Amino acid sequence: MFKKLASYLALAVTYVKLNFLSQLEYRGAFLSQVVAMFVNDSVWVVFWVLFFTRFPALRGWNVSDVITIWALAASGFGLAHGICGNALQLASLIARGQLDVWMLYPRALLSHLLVGRMSATAWGDALFGYVVYLVMVRPDCPHLLLFVLLSLSTAVLFVGFSVLSGSLSFYLGNSEGVTEQWNFSLITFSTYPATLFEGWVKLLLFTLIPAGFVSYLPVEALRQLSLPHAAAALGGSVMVLVAGVSVFYHGLGRYESGNLMEMRG
Amino acid sequence: MSNAVKVEKLAKVFEFNKGRGFSKTRVETTAVDRISFEVPEGQSLAFIGPNGAGKSTTIKMLTGILRPTSGEAEVLSLVPWRQRNKLSRLIGAVFGQRSQLWYHLPPRDTFELLSRIYELDRSQYLRRSDMLIERFALASFLDTPVRKLSLGQRMRAEVAASLLHQPRIVFLDEPTIGLDVVARQELRDVIREWNREEGVTIFLTSHDAGDIESVSRRVIVINHGRIVLDDKISNMRRRYLSSKVLNIKFHDEHSEVAVNGVTVLKSTGYALKLEVDCQVVGMEEVLHHVVNAGSVADITIEDPPLEEVIAHIYGQAGSSEAAENVEVS
Repeated sequence: MFKKLASYLALAVTYVKLNFLSQLEYRGAFLSQVVAMFVNDSVWVVFWVLFFTRFPALRGWNVSDVITIWALAASGFGLAHGICGNALQLASLIARGQLDVWMLYPRALLSHLLVGRMSATAWGDALFGYVVYLVMVRPDCPHLLLFVLLSLSTAVLFVGFSVLSGSLSFYLGNSEGVTEQWNFSLITFSTYPATLFEGWVKLLLFTLIPAGFVSYLPVEALRQLSLPHAAAALGGSVMVLVAGVSVFYHGLGRYESGNLMEMRG
Repeated sequence: MSNAVKVEKLAKVFEFNKGRGFSKTRVETTAVDRISFEVPEGQSLAFIGPNGAGKSTTIKMLTGILRPTSGEAEVLSLVPWRQRNKLSRLIGAVFGQRSQLWYHLPPRDTFELLSRIYELDRSQYLRRSDMLIERFALASFLDTPVRKLSLGQRMRAEVAASLLHQPRIVFLDEPTIGLDVVARQELRDVIREWNREEGVTIFLTSHDAGDIESVSRRVIVINHGRIVLDDKISNMRRRYLSSKVLNIKFHDEHSEVAVNGVTVLKSTGYALKLEVDCQVVGMEEVLHHVVNAGSVADITIEDPPLEEVIAHIYGQAGSSEAAENVEVS
């Protein structure tokens, strides 16, 4: 079991290394994408800082809390798609019959497929998340450790959700449009204070669009330094991942391959 | 000798929507129609057919990518779609239209990655890759990004990559597509050598008669999902070609050869090229007329190119069967 896990981790590390080397073949393009995403995220934080200078509190949340959700969402999303870059491509890969090459390797299909690609812009998000948390929230050591743990939990959530939404292509033929919209809803709701929403919308945030596991439970965990909240956030993320993996493997039986020309890397 | 591949009544039916807009009907098409065959270990088989005949679908079922609608198949005693992970350590695959090499990185990096994917022992991997680099003449471009390689170099690296984990059977789907004459011949030579020296079973699909002739000894022709021929390549020629081509050189000017069933393809002062329909006239009679036409210096009897045999088989199969499309709703 441990040997297998170690082998998978070593493979993932090799993929990350090769993906970086592949991106660095066009160093200028890679760095400009990372910087552009960092700047893009920063604009939103500036907006919220300006907002809180006029309105110091928003339903009990202050600027530090909002920066925390941005930091969490960005670092989680960045790690998810920086490492598992094929997660966001899943709907398209399935619809175009491009799983074939991956199915010929002696590795668990989904985990292998996910790490096979890297999103360059996602590293801009990840970098932004950690930098903005360190610089603007200035956490002590326990808060920083918990933040790192929760960013990993958020990454698990984003990967699981992308797998879940992307796997719809097995059933709909081509779900690229609906998958993109659904993923976009999660990102959007993950960057607004969960206290803004009540009633059925809040229910939605822990079910169909599970942004509550980014914008509510982790933030509460950091505010109160509460391990139960952190555990609940991690539990929710793992549940979404399990749902995604289950739907993927259930749908795989319907896979119909294709004949597009393709290259890796 | 045990079988590398055993297929029994294997079938695959695809469903798709036909029509435009909202007026679509669900249609079934039979891509592979209850085919059965066996391939002994170490054999080199050409599995050919026109576009849409069911070749790639069959390969995808044999490699575990697709589940069949019905029927059974075993590859190296494993059921591909149930034991895909286990099987993938024993098989290699090269799809001419799908690369496993990283486009922006050198082949060496892909080799390293594959050694991790297949969990190869380090010293074993180094020995194996050194041997492949030498045999496939990869050394000069091993550290050049794949995007900068010629197609011929890329395909050599591609085939070498598929052999890194010492597969017992290699599926080659159009491996020479787009290659020039020299690159094709080089690739065919190494594949043939590998089959003979390492005893690797080769399962080749190609539209190129040269690939089929150079690499394979046996051929299965599939059309409209059904096997229409399963024979040795030499037998296929004999069975499907009733004509021969005669090239004759004379010591001096020759007279005309006018025999029923003989067509003069080319005639110059000292040479003659004839096509003989052996169903109309016997070769002995033709040779008798040739010897009477002048003093013969040299004579060769050839089979027409394999392309003609294949086109003939496709034509026959095409005219006797129609594609089976059945509306299901």
